[in-house]
Amino acid sequence: MGDEMTEIIRLKDVSMVYGGNGTRATALREISLDIRPGEYVVVTGESGAGKSTLLTILGGLQVPSGGKVRIHGVDLAGLTADGLADFRRETIGFVFQSYHLLPYLTARENVMVPMAPGRTAAASKTSIADRLLASVGLSGKEDRLPSQLSGGECQRVAIARSLVHDPPILLADEPTGNLDSLTGEQVLDLFSEWHDRGKTVLMVTHNRTILNRATRSVHLRDGRVEEDHIIKTVPGRQLAV
Amino acid sequence: MNLRKLAWGNLLRRKSRAVFTGLGIFLGIATFVAIASLTSQMEGAVRDQLDRFGANIVVSPRTEQLSIGFGDIALGGTEVAHSRLTMADRDRIASIPHKDRIRMVVPFHLAAADASGKNLVWMGLPPGDMAEARPWWDTVGSPVRKRGEVVLGAEAAALLDKGPGGTIDAGKRSFRVAGVLRPTGEKEDGMIIADLADVQELSGKPGVVTYFEVAALCKDCPVEDIVAQIGQALPGARVSAIRQVVESRKAAVDQLRRMGYGVSAIVLLIGGLMVLVTVMGGVQERTAEIGVLRAVGFRGRAIYSLLFWETGWVSFLASLLGAGTGIAAAFLASPMFGIENPGIAAVPALLGVAAGLLLGLLGAVPPARRAAALSPTEAIRSL
Repeated sequence: MGDEMTEIIRLKDVSMVYGGNGTRATALREISLDIRPGEYVVVTGESGAGKSTLLTILGGLQVPSGGKVRIHGVDLAGLTADGLADFRRETIGFVFQSYHLLPYLTARENVMVPMAPGRTAAASKTSIADRLLASVGLSGKEDRLPSQLSGGECQRVAIARSLVHDPPILLADEPTGNLDSLTGEQVLDLFSEWHDRGKTVLMVTHNRTILNRATRSVHLRDGRVEEDHIIKTVPGRQLAV
Repeated sequence: MNLRKLAWGNLLRRKSRAVFTGLGIFLGIATFVAIASLTSQMEGAVRDQLDRFGANIVVSPRTEQLSIGFGDIALGGTEVAHSRLTMADRDRIASIPHKDRIRMVVPFHLAAADASGKNLVWMGLPPGDMAEARPWWDTVGSPVRKRGEVVLGAEAAALLDKGPGGTIDAGKRSFRVAGVLRPTGEKEDGMIIADLADVQELSGKPGVVTYFEVAALCKDCPVEDIVAQIGQALPGARVSAIRQVVESRKAAVDQLRRMGYGVSAIVLLIGGLMVLVTVMGGVQERTAEIGVLRAVGFRGRAIYSLLFWETGWVSFLASLLGAGTGIAAAFLASPMFGIENPGIAAVPALLGVAAGLLLGLLGAVPPARRAAALSPTEAIRSL
């Protein structure tokens, strides 16, 4: 129990099988993985290795076929659909490869979207959004539509959106996949910055140059963890592999 | 930023879809309001027109069957009138509390009298009331315009072998045949129609009326009330509504209303289906967007609310526009439906807006359920 308290993410024998009779496809095969707070984990692997499936399970977007998932002290198997939504809102920040901003909303409004169903005062929502946009270097561009922003700027808006509820965990799926290398580096700088501020980051990517920013790398092959390396220790934390 | 603003923003972004979604509601509500508005006004017009077409109440002396016999031998019976109706009763009828509902009171006097050697029934009524009391009479020649003139029923004319311009002798008087009625299929075919005073004089009962026919305007009052009030004004009279006339008028108006509601219901149903199809298409189109919203923590209820706000905006605006168009269409079409004084039917318009909003929201339920049940993974996979 004392050991469980130290992990922010714990996967135990997690499997994921898609399809039914005759069309079964196994995406994950009994993966066990412990991630401690403050780690910056880069998950690599070939297409079909199970990276995205792992990310969606960690984000509470889908329930595994088998095994246990415990994140930030919550056993996801015991949550309803709305419970999972609450979990995502409070615990997880998602960043997608294609940003997925709402094109009819300004940068500020896009950042405010996760707060839309809540009862927070409008002024407070605006203040939070502007502060986050400033933190990702987009001061002065709050009122621009996504179509008026570059790809890198859109991804910054998406990162700001993922941070609205100050989640302890950031999950990113190929966040630099649609960006040129320079812009990609700038976006990665932001992840490093938020990692330095104490966030746990888990990033799925093909780009192995990111490894030099990470504290740990996990390589998947055919739904299994093929390699799990500590790249650097998290200051003040003893990592167990 | 809240769900309302998010919904509004999406509508502005997808204007053509919003217009198409609203089109069904707009057409449905415009049709519903126009038909309901026309129908409600036509009810009045139809009733007025039907009321103008003859009487719907008959006032006659109260009678009692009196048996005549000798010991145990029955010799038949006879009807004895308690009192006579006179011309003064006309004013009493015309002064009941519902007098504003009474369009006309026509006195009739019937008498069997000699006509050029034949014993026929004479019907007397004021010449000035004939056109209104019997609008279906079609006279060859001219109607009775003054005393001393008669119109012959078709059978009476054949029996007497008289036509317009001829004369008929009755007692010591002679009457000029002004015209002959074309066959009506009624009893007047065998009668001689004359001025009321002439028939009263022929029967030797001046001022006596056999019965009154009353035409009541019953657009929004029960004919029973008028019958009761006449009964109170003339305690010795028997007052009865001609149920067949009243019921047939009611049936005609009810049929009109049912037809209007039927057409409206069909159009509204089509409008609702259009909403369902377009909103369902919108959900399909926005799978990825809904997935992102789910991913950032939107509960199913929030997705429901978002779609309901969107559909609610569209439905409300389309209903308002539809109600306005329906009112305008009904107003413009009024003359074609015999409505002389068209007005704005506020109740159908308000009902239309409420129905449009309700229909839109109902149409959005299946798509909203689908959207709320959408697996975030499925959505994310489509990213």
